[in-house]
Amino acid sequence: MASVKLTNVKKIYDNNVVAVHDFNLDIKDKEFVVFVGPSGCGKSTTLRMIAGLEDISEGTVEIDGEVVNDLQPKDRGIAMVFQNYALYPHMTVYDNIAFSLRLKKVPEDVIYEKVTKAAEVLGITDYLMRKPRALSGGQRQRVAIGRAMVRDSKVFLMDEPLSNLDAKLRNQMRSEIILLRQKLDTTFIYVTHDQTEAMTLADRIVIMKDGYIMQVGSPDEVFDMPDNLFVAEFIGAPKMNIIKTKLLLENGKYYVTPFGAKIEVDGDKGKELAARKVKAGDVLLGVRPEHIELADAAAHAIPCTLVVDEMMGSELHLHVDADADGTRLIVRVPTLGLSKEQRKKLVRGAKLNITFEGVAMHLFDAETEKNLLT
Amino acid sequence: MNNTEKRHMGLKALNRVSNTGIYILLTVISVVWLIPFVFIVLQSFRVENTYQVGYVIPKQWGLQNYINLWNSDFKRWYLNTLIIALAAAVFQTIIQLCMSYTLSRFRFKLRGPLMRFMLILGMFPGMLTMIILYRVLSDLGLTQANAVPGLILVSVASSGMGYYVSKGFFDTIPKSLDEAARVDGATRLQVLYKIILPLAKPIVIYTILTAFMGPWGDYVFARYVAFGTSAGYNVAVGMYSWLTNDQINRMYTTFCAGGVIVAVPVTILFLCLQKYYVEGVTGGAVKG
Amino acid sequence: MMKQYSDLEYLRLTRWQKFVYKLLSFFSAIPLAIGHFFANIGGWIKKGVTAVADEFKDIGTTFIHGDWKTKVSYVVMGFGNLARGQILRGLLFLVFEIVFIIYMITAGGYWMSMLPSLGKLGPSQEYNAVLDTYTTVYNDNSFKILLYGVLTIFFIIALVYTWRLNVKQNKLAEQILKSGKKLKSDKDDLRSMVDEQFYKTLLALPLTGILVFTVLPIIFMILVAFTNYDGTHNGYSNNLFTWVGLTNFNTLFSWQSAGGGQSYSATFGEILAWTLMWAFLATFTNYFLGMFVAMMINKKGIRLKKMWRTILVMTIAIPQFISLLYVSKMFARNGLINLTLLDWGWIKQPLPFWEDPTWARVTVVLINIWIGIPHLMLIATGILMNIPADLYESARIDGANAWQQYSKITLPYMLFITGPYLLTSFTGNMNNFNVIYLLTGGAPTNPAASGAAGSVGYTDLLITWLFKITTGAESQYYLASVVGIMVFVVVAFISLVVYNVLPSIKNEEDFQ
Repeated sequence: MASVKLTNVKKIYDNNVVAVHDFNLDIKDKEFVVFVGPSGCGKSTTLRMIAGLEDISEGTVEIDGEVVNDLQPKDRGIAMVFQNYALYPHMTVYDNIAFSLRLKKVPEDVIYEKVTKAAEVLGITDYLMRKPRALSGGQRQRVAIGRAMVRDSKVFLMDEPLSNLDAKLRNQMRSEIILLRQKLDTTFIYVTHDQTEAMTLADRIVIMKDGYIMQVGSPDEVFDMPDNLFVAEFIGAPKMNIIKTKLLLENGKYYVTPFGAKIEVDGDKGKELAARKVKAGDVLLGVRPEHIELADAAAHAIPCTLVVDEMMGSELHLHVDADADGTRLIVRVPTLGLSKEQRKKLVRGAKLNITFEGVAMHLFDAETEKNLLT
Repeated sequence: MNNTEKRHMGLKALNRVSNTGIYILLTVISVVWLIPFVFIVLQSFRVENTYQVGYVIPKQWGLQNYINLWNSDFKRWYLNTLIIALAAAVFQTIIQLCMSYTLSRFRFKLRGPLMRFMLILGMFPGMLTMIILYRVLSDLGLTQANAVPGLILVSVASSGMGYYVSKGFFDTIPKSLDEAARVDGATRLQVLYKIILPLAKPIVIYTILTAFMGPWGDYVFARYVAFGTSAGYNVAVGMYSWLTNDQINRMYTTFCAGGVIVAVPVTILFLCLQKYYVEGVTGGAVKG
Repeated sequence: MMKQYSDLEYLRLTRWQKFVYKLLSFFSAIPLAIGHFFANIGGWIKKGVTAVADEFKDIGTTFIHGDWKTKVSYVVMGFGNLARGQILRGLLFLVFEIVFIIYMITAGGYWMSMLPSLGKLGPSQEYNAVLDTYTTVYNDNSFKILLYGVLTIFFIIALVYTWRLNVKQNKLAEQILKSGKKLKSDKDDLRSMVDEQFYKTLLALPLTGILVFTVLPIIFMILVAFTNYDGTHNGYSNNLFTWVGLTNFNTLFSWQSAGGGQSYSATFGEILAWTLMWAFLATFTNYFLGMFVAMMINKKGIRLKKMWRTILVMTIAIPQFISLLYVSKMFARNGLINLTLLDWGWIKQPLPFWEDPTWARVTVVLINIWIGIPHLMLIATGILMNIPADLYESARIDGANAWQQYSKITLPYMLFITGPYLLTSFTGNMNNFNVIYLLTGGAPTNPAASGAAGSVGYTDLLITWLFKITTGAESQYYLASVVGIMVFVVVAFISLVVYNVLPSIKNEEDFQ
């Protein structure tokens, strides 16, 4: 159990490629932090610098208040689960889990207690004498976690641990990791490229791009108040619709004009805009698919043509083109409220009207792509 | 060294110390490995005497040994070996590739028993068969002066046994490629020469190279077949005779010159194709 | 029966208990395996008998139910094919039958009839009326009788198999025609040679080569072990040779001294011991040192990797007879090394590299390291680069230092992957003729053993001994055959044991 503090951490490779720029983050004791971002954003590199597998080019990493830059990985009090599990193929499951303890010269009966206990927690007791090859992907994953568990480490590092599993198993393991976290009650740093994993697991999410931190915040914060266009588009599935439009200021009220419709930015958002004295001009308007509704033809409705309809079960994803300029938008419609006749009409080529409310809108500066409200 | 000291010294410095040690070791190894060959080259230019001496650098340099070589049967031996090597490179490659491709790609009833049978055959010392092969070849008139076709025949005929390395390589080419081509309407023959062979270029070159290099060092069977008739010798048999007790004092430096003439072309060829050789050894040899 | 532990019980044992338990289970499994083997033999025999019976039954029913075309095919092979329009197949069958009959009448019958005796009449002196002298007339040739006798047996087996195939094809053709389908045309047959049957086309040439130039000679030489074929019984120009039963095996294993020296069995035992020792040393010194060199070159931060590798690899290209012969002379009594050291005054007497048994054996092993390391370095490099980096990262987090990473990860990984290679390398070294013969020729001579079958040296392997036996004045081919069979037995035994112990051969995909 420990806090982790990264101060001005930088990673510069030999060929002068900068993988991580000036990374600052304070991870509290027992916090579950997820680094998320597209591949090549520097999230794994940062994790590996914390683990001690990569040199830290500049800055300091502290674990529990101690600078660990020059410590060997084993001396940092960490445990790590690798993407490909990194199980020792020539050792049985038992020997794999016992490996670190044996290196520490822990007595065999203590090892036995620890390994069997971990195996019981993970439900792999029956496989202790097997070699990794004879295990399924999910079982290997559990062994990898078991190996990290027995180390009683202060910080638990996980590098895309679920990315090699199929979708169903991934969901199952995700909930098991939540349970594991409750049991271990220690600090977790978790790397993934999957925003769903990040949202469901994290206390705090660190969203990265090209070696920079784009935003740090709780799942709610990053979802409701994305700092910038990148975060807005990265978090949430299907991704947020972005519409190039103008912000108008008329009689102290703000309006946006997507595809010729005129929608008022009302409620808190309008007040906040006014309070900040935001000027009228070009903006990028973001609306999440679930905040768009099908509507009758009305003044503020936007006429569209349906291109693709995807049946997802509980909801329907409609890909539509705005008639005004052909911009592709995605609309999420719950199937629950949909009658059979309505569903039948939703086929390729159907003409639809869509609308959304002012409170659901996110506004970004057209140039800096920063949220106008943060 | 205790822990704190280690931390101050840093991992990089520690690395530098051990790297220096490695460089020294590697240099020593390189010297040990190359020095006999350097000696051979130097001694091949020695003119002052023709037997082993206690120094390496000739006191008198000259091409006398190479002239001796030209005036001996060496030309004939060299030509013999070259012909065998070229023939082996062609036919041995064809046979080995047929064998390994088949065993890698086809699943027929006798595949398992066939491979096991060849494994068992390989446990018999090949030398045993020399006696009878010699008699058969001599009945066919393919010994002594006519040893070259006989040696080619024997070295090519059994080469199917050495399929392991290239089979190992073929096994690494995904089977789905074959299947895709078959679905596209290719026959098995077309799959072989349109899909597999282009992908198998490294192993084809490896097979050619090893088949070509083999005959240059082939001694025992060549001696058996060509026994006593200089016209049928290959370089190994011929040059071995120079180092027997009654000839060594006259022919030692000539042997060195011959060694240079034999080794230089083969080595240059090998270094040019080194990449494929390494791929063959690391890709096929171990998995096979 | 010993106590069986469950997994959890087993894990509770101490290291020693685990070891003893494994050892016990290994040995207690042996009688069980042998039991299984013998139990299976009954099954196999039963299976074999029923299979043969089924064949005969099928042949019979095919004849009874077959039409006249099929019935004629029983005598005239391929007749059914020809009559049903499969000209190509039919002709092949027919031609094969005709060739076989002609061969058996003209030659095969004679070879077969002579096989039991290996020839009756040796060379004799007969009066030549034209020249008015006695000249030697050569009669039977034991060598040819044995060789062509075996070949004829091959031929007969081939005919039986082909005849059976011919019957099967008739049955199949009748069935196909009855069901209203069309038979395969000649064109179809030809096309299938490059498609479904392509493997037969591909294998035809290589397998023929192996059959004629490996299988036949090996069978021949196995048979020779039961004859008295040697230099004085060469089967033609001096004396015929003949079957002698197990006499030669008795000779090799008898404790009686032969020709004043040691007994054959003592000589054989000594050479076998050195052969095994040599194979062990040669294999493992190369293996570990080659791995060591590869690891040095591959280490992160070492520059000029390519150059170091090329220097070593280059030595592979140079034909072994040059490097081995040259190095052999370098270490000779009046060779470069001794002369140089004498010049420098470091030694007073030449070092007995090839004269003293121990010196010679050590020198051979050392020079073999020089020969073998480049190759091993290449192989080890390939494997080392394939070990996933995250295994090492994980081990570092687990707290393994450099030595532990090597001994717990690199080495087991290498041993696992190279298990089969090590085995072939070991047996290859047992038969490593070139290195021994070109370096020492077996020297220094072992005076005690020299009575048996030519001169035997302290560095002689079984394979070089075998060679010497066949080349000396006596040319005891029969003894060489027996030694060859013994080499096979040793190699097969080692392979069998290793195959059953080495895990990587059983689960070769553990690392993939």
